[in-house]
Amino acid sequence: MKRAIPAVISAAAALTLVLAGCGGGDEPVDPNAPVTITLAGWSLASTPEFKTLADGFKATHPNVTVELKEYAPGNDYDTQMITDLAAGTAPDVYVMKNLRNFYTYQSGGQLLDVSDVTSGLGSVPALASYQVDGKAYAVPYRQDSWVLFYNKDLFAKAKVTPPDGSWTWDDYTDATKRLHTGLKGVGSKATGAYQHTFQSTVQGFALAQTPGADLLSGDFGYLKPYYERSLDLQAAGAQPTFGTAKTNKLTYQAQFGKQQAALLPMGTWYVATLLNQQKSGDADKFPWGIAPAPQFDKSTTGTSATPVTFGDPTGLGINPKISKSKTAAAKAFLQYAAGPDAGKALAGIGITPAQVTDAVTATLFGLDGVPQDELSKFAYTKHTIKPENPVSKHTAGLQNLLNETHSTILSNSKGVDAALAEAQTRAKNEVLNQ
Amino acid sequence: MATLPRTRPRNRRLVWRNTVAGWSFILPNFIGFAVLTLLPVAVLFYVAFTSWNVFGVAEWTGTANFQRMWGDASFWTALRNTVYYTAFHIPLTLAAALGLALLLNRKLRGVRFFRTVAFFPYVTSIVAIAIVWNQLFSPEYGPINALLRAVGVDDPPGWTTSSTWSMPAVIIVGTWRYMGYYMLLFLAGLQTIPAQLYEAAQTDGASAWQRFVHVTIPGLRHTTFFVTVLLTIESFKVFDLILLMTGGGPGQSTLVLSQYIYQKGFEENQFGYASAVSIVLFAICFGITVIQFMVNKRGNS
Repeated sequence: MKRAIPAVISAAAALTLVLAGCGGGDEPVDPNAPVTITLAGWSLASTPEFKTLADGFKATHPNVTVELKEYAPGNDYDTQMITDLAAGTAPDVYVMKNLRNFYTYQSGGQLLDVSDVTSGLGSVPALASYQVDGKAYAVPYRQDSWVLFYNKDLFAKAKVTPPDGSWTWDDYTDATKRLHTGLKGVGSKATGAYQHTFQSTVQGFALAQTPGADLLSGDFGYLKPYYERSLDLQAAGAQPTFGTAKTNKLTYQAQFGKQQAALLPMGTWYVATLLNQQKSGDADKFPWGIAPAPQFDKSTTGTSATPVTFGDPTGLGINPKISKSKTAAAKAFLQYAAGPDAGKALAGIGITPAQVTDAVTATLFGLDGVPQDELSKFAYTKHTIKPENPVSKHTAGLQNLLNETHSTILSNSKGVDAALAEAQTRAKNEVLNQ
Repeated sequence: MATLPRTRPRNRRLVWRNTVAGWSFILPNFIGFAVLTLLPVAVLFYVAFTSWNVFGVAEWTGTANFQRMWGDASFWTALRNTVYYTAFHIPLTLAAALGLALLLNRKLRGVRFFRTVAFFPYVTSIVAIAIVWNQLFSPEYGPINALLRAVGVDDPPGWTTSSTWSMPAVIIVGTWRYMGYYMLLFLAGLQTIPAQLYEAAQTDGASAWQRFVHVTIPGLRHTTFFVTVLLTIESFKVFDLILLMTGGGPGQSTLVLSQYIYQKGFEENQFGYASAVSIVLFAICFGITVIQFMVNKRGNS
């Protein structure tokens, strides 16, 4: 009896050690154990991409369930996400809508190093945007780019030759004016073009296309010719003024979809919207096409050259507070989302994935209602996409400041030179010195 | 003398009981106030002296935020615009509210209907107000400019799309929205002026204007003071109306302090700097209210 007691004690101690070892997490996680990871999304009812990704992933990883958590749409998404991350209640995997706030997340230590995921991805063009000091902190799953949408009926009505891929911005301005005159001549109320109130519609192109342009240099001279052309079109009545678009809250979906404008520079995300709206009746049914964005000069025009345009990738990152047992599943999800299978699934709902392959193009152009002409295919597949927001501590501040400059210039409150000079002074004294 | 030791404990018990009862009455409200307002305000005073950017630790930077503010042209623009708004919004709303109150303090047919109409803007959603007024102000297609053109104004203003006219446009809408509310306060004030005073003044042969200056205005002194204090605070922290109508634009022409705080804090994640600007806004509101109270006190004595 007396001898039994130490034996019992040592057995208990051994058992405790074994049990403690189980909780230690050093043991390899069973790859087939059921796991649930959470993913942030917005407007889930009208934005099917998150469910597409979750379902597609489930097909190859039956043990992993991706649970969607709904966040506010628009700019509120980032505000809400930042709050949740700071409070430690954010989902395991979250979306970065553009590059504007990537710096905030990354420098704030809110993104897990996912270099091992990206090394297995091959050459996805937008990967570089998410790299800091040689490490990757997110992967892209969407890569929209800006193109030129045009209404073929209105071009025919105005008897203007539709875009052929050879346009510079001067050609675009010229065509818009001729459309305006032509449409007026046949009694149509439609304008030549619609330029939405986003600062990107001017600044995004100027930054991407002008040789040597650099947002972070604080020298904004590259914006001048782009603004002069916009002001010229406004003054000629060839596009609704910035003031009218603002005060009447014009939407580009209605302006182009309801045939109020023949030309619309916009991102490729609008393809899916336009298809859906033409189906639901929110947009008219008319033949349309996409052309490459007009270019800075002739060196990048024509279908044998590669047009330059802009667009931020949409990326996925992992919350560093994720529990260890879920990290592998979350990384596998990122690998899937940026890869070719997810690409095809996304193209099936009209969305442009991070890597446009032949299979993606075939799927997207196989959708009902997508234009079938060669130029549309060319515009969709061939381009150099530069990021709208270079990743830096100063990006958010500079973009806010330039957004104010945008409204100053387009409302004719100040001349282009004076407004840009003021923007440069402010950039130097208020943002770049921080 | 002998009774003193016996009454003291009972007294203490009574005080204790009253204190507990008092606290239990205000506690439900006070907990909410403390958690949602008092604590954040206290934290704000700390954050203002740090470089907190929402993630990580707030690093103490001393008065760096205030020094930065001193040289920040945008801060001064925002302050100037806030003063511009306040300087016009207060007298205009005060006059409009008083005028309406006097008009609707008579025995008119359907006076209740008109009072309701005047109060309507105040209970209407600010989002709806901003959108509808923006359309009314639309420079090319809006009815306001159509009217101005009809009466012979060749070059009507661009309103919310012009940096010169955007602030007047916002002030007009602000006045229109709030005059109904302050009218209600003035109406209540007017009811408290005894009718005998007017009768006596009339017997003495005072004209309507003299009665207004010598009876109504002094009779409304307390109401006017109260309304002015409320209006001042409300003007200095104007935010939603401007954010929805112009977003601070065109350029920075309608950028006000509270929007600048929002921009720095929630758009650029510079919570330390945004808190410092909030403290300045608080100090301005506080200072002006103290001055108003002092002036009012002197007037009383």
